[in-house]
Amino acid sequence: MENFKNNKIIKKIGFNRVVLIGVLILMYFAFALVCSIMGKASFINYQRILSLLNYSYFLGFLALGVTFVIATGGIDFSIGTVMFCAALVGGQLLTKSGLPVILCLLICVAVGVIFGMLNGFMVAYMGLPSFISSMASMMLSKGIGSVFTKTQSVSWPQATADDGWYRSLVKVTVGGVTIPTGLIFLIIVAIICSMILNKTKAGRYILCLGSNKEAVRLSGVNVKKWECLAYVICGTLAGIAAIVFVGAYSTVQPGLGDTYNNDAIASCVMGGTSMSGGLASIGGAFIGVMIISLLQEGILAMGFQKDWQYVITGIIVIIAVYADVRSRKRRN
Amino acid sequence: MGEVILTMKGIDKSFPGVHALDHVDLEIRKGEVHALMGENGAGKSTLMKVLTGIYSMDEGSITYEGKQVTFTNPREAQAAGIVIVHQELNMMNHLTVAQNIFIGREMMSGKLINDSKMNKEAIKLFQKLNIDINPNDKMGDLTVGKQQMCEIAKAISHEAKVIIFDEPSAALTETEIEELFKIIRDLRDQGLGIVYISHRMDEIKVITDRVTVMRDGGYVGTLITKDSTKDDIINMMVGRVIYEDPKTESNVAPDAPVVLKVEHLNAGKMVRDVSFELHKGEILGFSGLMGAGRTETARALFGADPKDGGDIYINGTKVDIKTPMDAVKAGIGYLSEDRKRFGIVVAKTVAENSTMANLDNFTSGLFINKKKENQIAQRYVEELKTKTPTVDTEVVNLSGGNQQKVVIAKWLVRNCDILIFDEPTRGIDVGAKSEIYHLMNELVAEGKSIIMISSEMTEVLRMSDRIVVMCEGKKTGEIDIAEATQENIMHAATLRD
Repeated sequence: MENFKNNKIIKKIGFNRVVLIGVLILMYFAFALVCSIMGKASFINYQRILSLLNYSYFLGFLALGVTFVIATGGIDFSIGTVMFCAALVGGQLLTKSGLPVILCLLICVAVGVIFGMLNGFMVAYMGLPSFISSMASMMLSKGIGSVFTKTQSVSWPQATADDGWYRSLVKVTVGGVTIPTGLIFLIIVAIICSMILNKTKAGRYILCLGSNKEAVRLSGVNVKKWECLAYVICGTLAGIAAIVFVGAYSTVQPGLGDTYNNDAIASCVMGGTSMSGGLASIGGAFIGVMIISLLQEGILAMGFQKDWQYVITGIIVIIAVYADVRSRKRRN
Repeated sequence: MGEVILTMKGIDKSFPGVHALDHVDLEIRKGEVHALMGENGAGKSTLMKVLTGIYSMDEGSITYEGKQVTFTNPREAQAAGIVIVHQELNMMNHLTVAQNIFIGREMMSGKLINDSKMNKEAIKLFQKLNIDINPNDKMGDLTVGKQQMCEIAKAISHEAKVIIFDEPSAALTETEIEELFKIIRDLRDQGLGIVYISHRMDEIKVITDRVTVMRDGGYVGTLITKDSTKDDIINMMVGRVIYEDPKTESNVAPDAPVVLKVEHLNAGKMVRDVSFELHKGEILGFSGLMGAGRTETARALFGADPKDGGDIYINGTKVDIKTPMDAVKAGIGYLSEDRKRFGIVVAKTVAENSTMANLDNFTSGLFINKKKENQIAQRYVEELKTKTPTVDTEVVNLSGGNQQKVVIAKWLVRNCDILIFDEPTRGIDVGAKSEIYHLMNELVAEGKSIIMISSEMTEVLRMSDRIVVMCEGKKTGEIDIAEATQENIMHAATLRD
């Protein structure tokens, strides 16, 4: 075991993440096995994987974003509703006001950026606890989305419509074969996020201030700016999540979105991002997202009630957080 | 003064690397106020912690009311009637006065707490002490003085026979101190034994009957207060032999320019109208007793805490320092006394901590230049002889002295000309200590200037070219090293107005 842990490649990826990938693969085959025993439709098929991926795109962008916030030691409970608010506002302007699609997509991102700036300002400059301030912006974004659409759902154009090109961000069908472009999109953004977090000054300071903000401040660093930036990155990615959400599902209902916060935060925590800040893993969050998406798809395939997903996610989060707490205690 | 109630004899206590108490004696009689005096780190608190069972002793005996006792925790001591009134009050601000006094032994009617009974009992206690406090008031709404009286009431509710006051007057106003003294005299007249720990010489003269002086963990002697002078006590406090050679004259050139000038600095209660100058190549020692306002002065100067007023000039130019960012831009670096909280990010590596204050120089384009960062970190690991496996080791794995060197490296990487070293050798072993002294001497030889805050008299006398002494937020002395003695420093450090 020690040999395995000290293996160069394993060390590079991180032992916890290797375990997580193992869990992911095991889960996949476990679902396949259970489905075949129960006489359900085969789990190992491309449609299933596409459906699983559909869920993972928006969740992935949310999780990538909130990783930056958790890295500072904060939390953002508004990402899910901000995503919906962005999708509603953009969709309303597209369908009712007839703005061009490209502009509406940019508006989606802009809505995310604005909420990110608001959250960042409240936490970094006004000194509010992120738990409360993000809960407030969750209510704001939920309410604004509903008010803007007069509580009507909004349907973005189908892939076949004139304005449907934006859906190729999520998937493209060439000669009857569907290519999950969303996955490529997500992976590219994940790599960019990972570089920001680990290779740039912004990422360095975000991680350091999550670990010991006062020491960073006393090093003459503008901690407010960097802390705020983490929330802006998070909001921006929630805006992008809105685009891939409508790309996958096209219809957005007002008044929803908060459950996705939990899924996204759970993904991060599973992946080894510490809730107390300072320690974050983009790769881990990515794998966490895949696990949650698989869970959701697997439970559907077995014909169980959807809400079992929450029960299982809850248990996984407890285990993941406990492991985090334990390892931190050992270090001290 | 009555009969002896408490005798501590030959108390010895060691911690890894420190001989904290070296065969200390203390005798308390009924009906006396007994002062326990000594510099920072003399061992007063440790002795009281041994008495009340927080620490166990390695050697020695405690005789209390004629019987030999050993307490294993403060509860036992309290049950026997030995109670400490702490400097930092342990009160719950959201509970009422009575609830605080009876915390942990609430009066019950059945399964429910009987508040009215506790209030009545609290009133009885206050009557005994001749004070007027409503037991139903929230603790947080009371002044510090009143809170302390509640703490005393709590102590006597335990049927205390010996009460230890640990710097009780530190946070009190003049009138509150008068009231406190009245209560202490009452308690003494009722036959209690009072231990009074304080740095304030004038108070010792007013309130105490005898004084026991400690120095460097050892017992120096006991005096009758009314027969001794302030000088007698100071001489006993500082009369140590200095093993390491004290500096005899300043190494600063007489025409060295002033690099930092602070005028009328004010910040809260702890920094009141402080002015001083720092010359190029100088080590300016800041001496004073605990709570003198030295760290607060440094933090205000550095922009870590808000200022109420005052001007700062660097190389003759006035600078506006509002945040640590401004200070670092102006070329000031600050090594905090609390390394782990304010100095380093323990979960990050040596290299990451080293470049913390100057990451811009190690960023090419969008990305941090890891190679360049590691190079500079490696260079300072070698120059400062930091013991670390690699520069990629997390600093949490380093010893205190080596962590301190990482903090120093951080400011050297930033190339700060003015360095504030706040207790630079606290919690560091002897070997690393002399390395840090050596390093400080090298830095000033290179033309950097250092403000060194230190609570160790030997350190102040060994390192400083000039010494600023503070007491209760004010500068009470400025002494050139050629004239500095332990006595005149301690005089200034106890100079209240």
